[in-house]
Amino acid sequence: MSHSRSHFWFVAPAVLLMFVILILPIFVAGIFSFTDYNLGSTDFRWIGWKNYEALGKYSSYRKMFTASLTYVVIVVPVSVLLGLGSAMLISSLRFGGEFYKAIFFLPVMATLLAMAIVWEFTLDPIVGIVNRFLEDGCSVGWFYQFFTGGWLGFNPADSWYGNICSERMPNWLGNKKYALGSISFIGIWQAFGFNMVLYLAGLMAVPRDLYAAAEIDGAKSTWETFKLVTWPMLGPTHVFVITITSIRSFQVFDTVEALTRGGPSKSTYMMVYAMYEKGVKQNLVGMGSTLTIVFLGFVLLITLTQVYFINRKVHYS
Amino acid sequence: MAEIQLKNISKSYGDTKVIKDLDFSIVDGEFITVVGPSGCGKSTLLRIIAGLESQSSGDVFINGREVNKVRASERDLAMVFQSYALYPHLSVQQNLMVPLKLRRLSSLERFPLLNWFLPNRRARLNDLNEKVLEAAETLQITHLLGRKPGQLSGGQQQRVAVGRAMVREPVAFLMDEPLSNLDAALRVHMRAEISELHRKLKTTFVYVTHDQAEALTMSDRMAVMMDGEILQLDTPTEIYNNPLNLQVAEFIGSPKINVLPAESDDYGQITCMGLSMSLPLKTPNKESILLGLRPEHTELLAPKSKNCFVGEIKYKENLGPDIYLHLILNEGQHKMIVRSEPGKALDVNIGDTVKIGWKEDKIMAFEKNGKSLPLKNQS
Repeated sequence: MSHSRSHFWFVAPAVLLMFVILILPIFVAGIFSFTDYNLGSTDFRWIGWKNYEALGKYSSYRKMFTASLTYVVIVVPVSVLLGLGSAMLISSLRFGGEFYKAIFFLPVMATLLAMAIVWEFTLDPIVGIVNRFLEDGCSVGWFYQFFTGGWLGFNPADSWYGNICSERMPNWLGNKKYALGSISFIGIWQAFGFNMVLYLAGLMAVPRDLYAAAEIDGAKSTWETFKLVTWPMLGPTHVFVITITSIRSFQVFDTVEALTRGGPSKSTYMMVYAMYEKGVKQNLVGMGSTLTIVFLGFVLLITLTQVYFINRKVHYS
Repeated sequence: MAEIQLKNISKSYGDTKVIKDLDFSIVDGEFITVVGPSGCGKSTLLRIIAGLESQSSGDVFINGREVNKVRASERDLAMVFQSYALYPHLSVQQNLMVPLKLRRLSSLERFPLLNWFLPNRRARLNDLNEKVLEAAETLQITHLLGRKPGQLSGGQQQRVAVGRAMVREPVAFLMDEPLSNLDAALRVHMRAEISELHRKLKTTFVYVTHDQAEALTMSDRMAVMMDGEILQLDTPTEIYNNPLNLQVAEFIGSPKINVLPAESDDYGQITCMGLSMSLPLKTPNKESILLGLRPEHTELLAPKSKNCFVGEIKYKENLGPDIYLHLILNEGQHKMIVRSEPGKALDVNIGDTVKIGWKEDKIMAFEKNGKSLPLKNQS
């Protein structure tokens, strides 16, 4: 046995880099989260858990949690199911699959910040194409009847569409009622193409023989085959897709920054945007660090859930 | 319990014809093997019978009923796949349950939650469970019922796959190379077990394999298939002894049959490399012919023997009970494999020149194009 210490020297650069780049910043953020440090000031005070208490005390932070969680709860299931649905449709195509793949993947490749500007124009209350379309629809008899439920015997004026026709068109990004929905819609638009690609890969890995076996065993409907083969065989893909979409949804920032800046009245005040606003724009490093630590806690929670599922349920061999 | 008939079945993918006008019928309760090299269309044929693939033309009949338009799930056949195709997320018990549940229970009885309120549900499920247990006992996999397929060995998975086919008492079993993923010893063992199962169930078995040993040992009748055509359909003994053409003779039998050039005279007398054979051709054939001689019908003769093949040993293959000698004849123009008992081949070595005799009544003659030529004593 040699007592050389050389092995320490071999791993030292990697350990040092990991420490300086990854662990140290989190550690520093953890320390700052217990202070009232402002960027530029020469000293700071230890204020204990006050920053964390503030998260529960002020309504803007409560709104932040509501907005972030609502966004995740809307975007994750819808974009995952849309991704799965479109992947199954595309994989059942005999030709043209490549075309749809490219189209649905475009939003993923585009810069979200640039796309946000396009959405801003699209959703503009006055010149936006969405409201122009809805406005024109008001004067088209059958369109108006169809979307107001008039054809089912309801009173058109009572319906949402009837209402905006007679009053005024919705301000998609400027109205508290619609802003989070609009941001979520853009989030889904952006995320589902990515999920689709992951599901396409997952579907490709399902052995063809299993479908044949299900057919021979007497599975007659597509639903039965889906239940017996497709859904369970996609188990590992589900876990991965849901985890990655959840984390990415928690991280939403570009659309908020470009379109709503957290407003109106904090209805789209997402966590990462709050981090940016407190820590960077207002120089409140202490509060920014607190938000960062809480955010990391969420991400860690999601990751641990994923590890749990991967170890337990979806690993078949 | 089923008679399967194929009439003029063809299948092509684009311009490539994988199955060419096949015509044959499978008798009720028979164990029939379709054997052929990979890519000869035998698996496609099985999938056409199963209904997993549709034929380009021709008809399939099961028990006299035309099933061309009938879906695989409604043909009441069971299939064992080469990959076993077990559902990896279900336990062995649940795997065996799948075909029973899908076939014996109505869609209402399978509807989640709602089915809890149906009368007799428990009794029905117990019935099915009993069937699963019965099948598990027959295959001796009762102790594995709680495990997932991923936790089983290849042989055990194979049994579960057979079990899943067995539980619902199908009219026929279709097996697509079920043993080819097993190791050699287990394969021999499972061969016997599947034959035993066939004797017990007395159901029609259609078995596809590329392994001629499986075909020869297990089947009542075997079909030799090459390039999308069935070359010969007969009992294993008949195919081994009287192959209809050279391709069949070369495919069946291991090591491969020796083929040597020969001539026949006006009376049908055969001469091969200067040696004359005792049995003449039934109908004289003036052209040059080919002589087929299986390695197991040759023997090593004493060095002083006359009227025999002379060859040089290139390679010696010791299998234990047999030794195969690979010879070259006529200064390397022809090759021959000779089987010998280990005792006789003890003192011959690579490079030695040896003399080879043959069993006169076992020789086979073929035309240049491969068609078999009957000899005088053969029918």
